[in-house]
Amino acid sequence: MSMAAAAPRLSRRLGEIVFLSACWVATGVALVALAAILWSLLTKGVGGLDLNVFTKSTPAPGNEGGLLNAILGSVMMCVLAMIGAALVGFLAGTWLSEFARDSRYGKVVRFLNDVLLSAPSILVGLFVYEILVAPLKGFSGFAGAVALGLIAAPVITRTTEDVLRLQPTALREASVALGAPVWRTIFTVIWKSARSGMLTGALLAFARISGETAPLLFTALNNQFLSLDLTKPTANLPVVIANFALTAYDDWRRLAWTAALLITATVLVVTMLARILLRGNTRSS
Amino acid sequence: MNVQLESPPETAILEIAPDTVKLAIKDLNFFYGAKQALFDVNVSFAANAVTALIGPSGCGKSTLLRTMNRMYSLYPGQKASGQILLDGEDVLSPRANVAAVRARIGMVFQKPTPFPMSIFDNVAYGVRLYEKLSKADMANRVEEALRRAALWDEVKDKLKESGLGLSGGQQQRLCVARGIAVKPEVLLLDEPASALDPISTARLEETIADLKSEYTVVIVTHNMGQAARLSDHTGFMYLGTLVEFGETEQVFTNPVTARARDYITGRFG
Amino acid sequence: MSVTVDVPVAVPAAPPRSARGTGWDRAFEILCFSAATLLLTALGGLVISLVIGGWPALSKFGFAFFTSAEWDPVQEVYGAAGAIVGTVVSAGLALLLALPLAFGIAIFLVELCPPILRRTIGTAVELLAGIPSIVYGMWGLFVFAPWFAKHVQMPMMMSAKPGSLWEKLTAGIPNGAGIFTASVILAIMILPFIAATMRELLMTIPATVRESAYGLGSTTFEVIRNVSLPYVRTGAIGAVMLGLGRALGETMAVTFVIGNAHGFPTSLFSPGSTIASTIANEFTEATGELHLAALISLGLVLFVITFTVLALARLLIGRQQNL
Repeated sequence: MSMAAAAPRLSRRLGEIVFLSACWVATGVALVALAAILWSLLTKGVGGLDLNVFTKSTPAPGNEGGLLNAILGSVMMCVLAMIGAALVGFLAGTWLSEFARDSRYGKVVRFLNDVLLSAPSILVGLFVYEILVAPLKGFSGFAGAVALGLIAAPVITRTTEDVLRLQPTALREASVALGAPVWRTIFTVIWKSARSGMLTGALLAFARISGETAPLLFTALNNQFLSLDLTKPTANLPVVIANFALTAYDDWRRLAWTAALLITATVLVVTMLARILLRGNTRSS
Repeated sequence: MNVQLESPPETAILEIAPDTVKLAIKDLNFFYGAKQALFDVNVSFAANAVTALIGPSGCGKSTLLRTMNRMYSLYPGQKASGQILLDGEDVLSPRANVAAVRARIGMVFQKPTPFPMSIFDNVAYGVRLYEKLSKADMANRVEEALRRAALWDEVKDKLKESGLGLSGGQQQRLCVARGIAVKPEVLLLDEPASALDPISTARLEETIADLKSEYTVVIVTHNMGQAARLSDHTGFMYLGTLVEFGETEQVFTNPVTARARDYITGRFG
Repeated sequence: MSVTVDVPVAVPAAPPRSARGTGWDRAFEILCFSAATLLLTALGGLVISLVIGGWPALSKFGFAFFTSAEWDPVQEVYGAAGAIVGTVVSAGLALLLALPLAFGIAIFLVELCPPILRRTIGTAVELLAGIPSIVYGMWGLFVFAPWFAKHVQMPMMMSAKPGSLWEKLTAGIPNGAGIFTASVILAIMILPFIAATMRELLMTIPATVRESAYGLGSTTFEVIRNVSLPYVRTGAIGAVMLGLGRALGETMAVTFVIGNAHGFPTSLFSPGSTIASTIANEFTEATGELHLAALISLGLVLFVITFTVLALARLLIGRQQNL
C-alpha cells in the first residue's frame, strides 16, 4: 500500500526537480551568453580605445586612424532619423489612441504598424534604395536616415499609443470641461502626463536604430573620409564594422571591435536609461 | 378609499419663476449609439441656487449633467436632441461654440483629476485659455479661486509643487478651484465627494454652499443627506426620465410621485 | 407632464469669450491622421517597390524562380529555392533551440526567481535583445564559431559511424561557419523576445487561478503544464511566431556565420545562405539589372514569408490579450 502510494509521489518530485533545474539552466545559458559577448567586446575592444578613435577618420590598412567619420555619420543619420520618426510616431500614436480607438481604419493601421515594427530591416533598406538611391543615382546619408527613420517610427508609434491609452479619460474630460480645445488638451495635459513613457519609446527606438546595419548597406553605404554632406555616401559605425571585420588586416579588425564596443555600450546605456525612466514613471503614478 | 382618484401623478415637475432661470432644458433626448438614455427631459435650473440630481445608479443623472456642457460631443456615437438654453442660447445647436460653452459651464468630476503640473498652473490652466492676464492679475485670480475652494491656506506655500502631490480631498478642492478660476456661470458637480473621506467631504460641502452666491450649481449625488443639506431644488430621475423636480424640502418630505416616494422613503428607511 | 419656461434673453454676465484656437482641432486631427497614414503608405510602398523592382526576374524565370536552387550571376540564372530553404531551416532550427530556453527563462522569472534578483535578471535578458545584430555576427564569427568547431562540431563528426545518417548530418568542414552555427546565434538573439512576451503572458494569469491549483497540492511543474500553459496557449503560440519572424529576417549576424554558399544545404554543418544574407552580400556588387531584380525578388519572398508569420503572431497575441 504505502509503496504504491509513494511511487507516483517520487516520480512527481523527481519530475519537479528536473523541471525546476531546467528553468535555472535556461536562465543560466542566457546570462552566460550575455556575459560571453560582453567579455569578448571588452577584451577585444577596449585595447583599441584611444584618443585617435575620436579624432581621426578610418585609415587605410596599416595606417593610424580612428572612427571619427563613422561616429559623426552615425550620429547625424540617427539624429535626423529620430527627428522624423518622433514627429511621425508621436502624431500617429496620438491618432491611434485619441481619434481612432475603435475605428476600422485605426485597427488596420495598428495591425500593419505592428507588422512594420518587426519587419526585416533589410527590406526597409531595399525599399529606400528603390525610392531614393536608384532614382537619384547615388547613395546618401540622407537615404540612410530615411531608412533608419522608417524603422524607428513604428516603435515610437506603438509605445506612444500604449502610454496614451493608459491616461485616464477623466483627465481628458477635465481639460475639455474647462473649455480647452482637444489639440490643446492633448498637448498640454495628455502628452505632459505621458511624457516619460513617450520618451522611453523614443529611447528604445534610438537604441534599435543605432546598431542597425542592414538598412544602411545600400543606402548610406560608407565613406572613407570625414564629411558632413548627407547628400553623399556617409560613413557610419555599423557598416564600418561590417567592412573592417571581414578583412585580413589586424588593425582594421581591432577598429571593428572598438566600434562594436562603442555601439553596444551606447545601446545598452540607452536601454537602461529607458528602463529607469519607465520605472520612475510607474512608481510616481 | 378610492384608489383611482388618489393615484399619484407619473411625473411632477415644478416650474420655476421665469426671471430666475439660468439654464432651461427642453425636450431633451439622449442616445448612446442606439440605446436611449434620456427621455423627454424638461426642466429649468435657477440662477444662484444649488440644484441636486438624485436617483438610483444608471438613472441618467450623470448623463444629463454631461449633456449640459456638451461633454458627450467628445465621443462619436453619442448624440442629443432637444434644446438646452443657457441664458436663452442653445448649447446643443450645431452652431454653438462648444469650447466657449464649456468655459461658461464648468464641471468637477467624481474622481479628482489634477493635471500633471504645478498647483498654480493647474488653476491658471483654464484662465490662460481665454484671458491674457498680467502676472500679478493671474496671481490674484489663482489666489481668489483657491480661497473660494477653501484650499489657499493649505497650499499657499507650495504653489510651485505638483498638484499630484496633494491628498485626495485637496486634489478635489484644487479641481473646484480650477473650475471656478475661469469664472463660469454654471458649475456642474458630478458626485464630487464620492471618493473623499468624511472630513474632506464636509469641507467640500462648505465650499459648494458658499459658491451659490455667484454661480448656478447643479450637483449629481448618490448621497441623499448631501442633497438635502446643500440644495434648493432637487430632481429625482429614474430610468432616463426626470420623474420629480421641486423645492428640496418638498421633494424630501412630501414627494408627489410614487417612484420618488418609494426611493426616498426606502432610502431613509 | 411637461413644462415650458419663458426664458428672458439676458445679457451674458461673463465677458464674451473668444476661444483661442478651437479651429485648430480639426487641423490637429488631420495632422495625426496623416502621420498614421504615412506609416501605412510606407508599408504599401515597400511592397509595391519590391514587386516593381523584382518584376524583371520574376517574369523571366516564372515559377522556376521559387523551385530552382541554381544561383549563378555569371550565367545570369537565378533560383531562390536554396536561399528560401536556408532561411526556413536556419530559422526553424533556431526556434527549436530557443523555445525551451525562452520558456524556461520566462517560467524562472515568474515562478522561481528570488524577488531581489528578478529585476536584475529580467533586465539582463532584455539587454541580450538590445545587442545589435552585427555585434552578434562578429562575436559569432570570431569567438563562438572557433569554440563551437573545436568543442562541438569535431566531437560530433568523430562520433559518427561511417555510412550512418548521423555522418551525413554532421558532414562538412569543421570551421564553425554553417547553418547550425547561424541557428545557434539566431536562437540567442530571439530568445529574449520570446521570453519577454511569454513572461508578460504568464503574468496575466490571475493569481487566484494559479493559487487554487497550488492549493490542490500541485507541483510547480504541474501548475505550469496543466494550468498556466493552457491558459496562455494562444498567446504563447503568437510569441513563438514573433520570434520566428525575427529569425527569418535577421541579416547581419547570419551573413557573418552561415558560410555564404548558394544551393541547398547538405548537412547541419554545411555552409548555406539565407534570403537576407544573399541580399546583404550581393546587392551593392550586383552585376546587372537581372541580378538586382533577382535580389529584390528575394526580398519580396522574404516579405511574404515574414508578413504571414508576423501577421499570424499578432493576431494570436491580440486574441490572447482580449481574453
